[in-house]
Amino acid sequence: MPPRTPDLGRFAEPAMLVLVSLSDGPKHGYAIMADVESFSRAPMGPGTLYAVLARLEEAGHVAPLAVDDRRRPYRITSAGTAAMRQQLDAMERFVRVGRLRVRGADR
Amino acid sequence: MSGARPPLRHRLILRVFPPRWRYRYGEEFLALLAERGISGDLLDVLAAALDARLHPRRADRTALTRLAAAPVAAPVRSPAAFGIVAAGPPAGILSRRAFMRRMLAVGAGLLSLEFLTGTLSFLWPNIREGLGAQFRLGSLADVLAAQPSFATGRPYPYNPARVFLVNVPAATAWASGEERAVPNPSADEILALWRKCPHLGCLVPLPCDEISRYQCRCHRSTYNILGEKMKEGPAERGLDRFAVRIDDDGTVVVDTSQITRGAPNLGPSRLEFSDPHPWEATCDA
Repeated sequence: MPPRTPDLGRFAEPAMLVLVSLSDGPKHGYAIMADVESFSRAPMGPGTLYAVLARLEEAGHVAPLAVDDRRRPYRITSAGTAAMRQQLDAMERFVRVGRLRVRGADR
Repeated sequence: MSGARPPLRHRLILRVFPPRWRYRYGEEFLALLAERGISGDLLDVLAAALDARLHPRRADRTALTRLAAAPVAAPVRSPAAFGIVAAGPPAGILSRRAFMRRMLAVGAGLLSLEFLTGTLSFLWPNIREGLGAQFRLGSLADVLAAQPSFATGRPYPYNPARVFLVNVPAATAWASGEERAVPNPSADEILALWRKCPHLGCLVPLPCDEISRYQCRCHRSTYNILGEKMKEGPAERGLDRFAVRIDDDGTVVVDTSQITRGAPNLGPSRLEFSDPHPWEATCDA
């Protein structure tokens, strides 16, 4: 995968999870965590979540919205959508190649 | 809900994060912890705090912080809902709290430095007076100006050091009944006799005129002019001596940190100096 956001480092994967979670609408921290846990089956700690959010916000991939009862929702930006799409494309290629070769190995 | 104070453990956890991070994320992070709890996530949160401390400027570069730093578009934050989160200034400006903390640290540092210096200087040998000090009596000319008879052998009592300064050649001549002026004795021709009687520590008075011996008033221990113990009296040794030297500039120095014990009382034949008076003679005889 070409690293679209090289500074994400080991947070690249949780960053993808957060971006995917925000793709269907703004969410605050707890909602992101619950959502990520439901679709990835891997719980994400609050520390990791905020480390990722800070990086994504710094990169301009997400943007904070106004606080609602102490909880701040975040929305994905167009740059974030583009980055996510690029990542998903790369992953798709990876999956395709992987499946092909696994099939070749089965034969 | 917004008015409730977050539990102590959440606030403590928040303290692990750097101030700038708290300024930007503290409030919403506490809200998240309140909804979710912290169980099982402690390591995750601590790792994030370490990460935030390793990247202290990241929170500054976030859009919201930039907005808050701009005077016009500053979003309204609920003030003082969280005493520990609120009131962080924009990046680069020392907050009042940080300033106070820093000043406290500086003060504590100065105080401990002071204590340390005091302790070390206390340990340093620094005796100016009393036993152990080096007494600078001035030149021989000064001593002679204070007591001209020092040249002709009369002991010079120097009270700060509790000594008799004895001009040995002149003093032995005087004790032998002669008058001999030695105005310029060398350092090894000068004795500094400690006026503390070795018997029980009384102050030994100046010699009487008749027989030029020291005699302690307490128990009549008697010493010849060089401080050697004579027969009379209970003391078992002669007067103790301090080291004497004459510095290059001519100053007579009595070093009371170097003490030579007086010779034990071994009888008349062992005395360095025997004056012509009878062995048993005492001052008030």
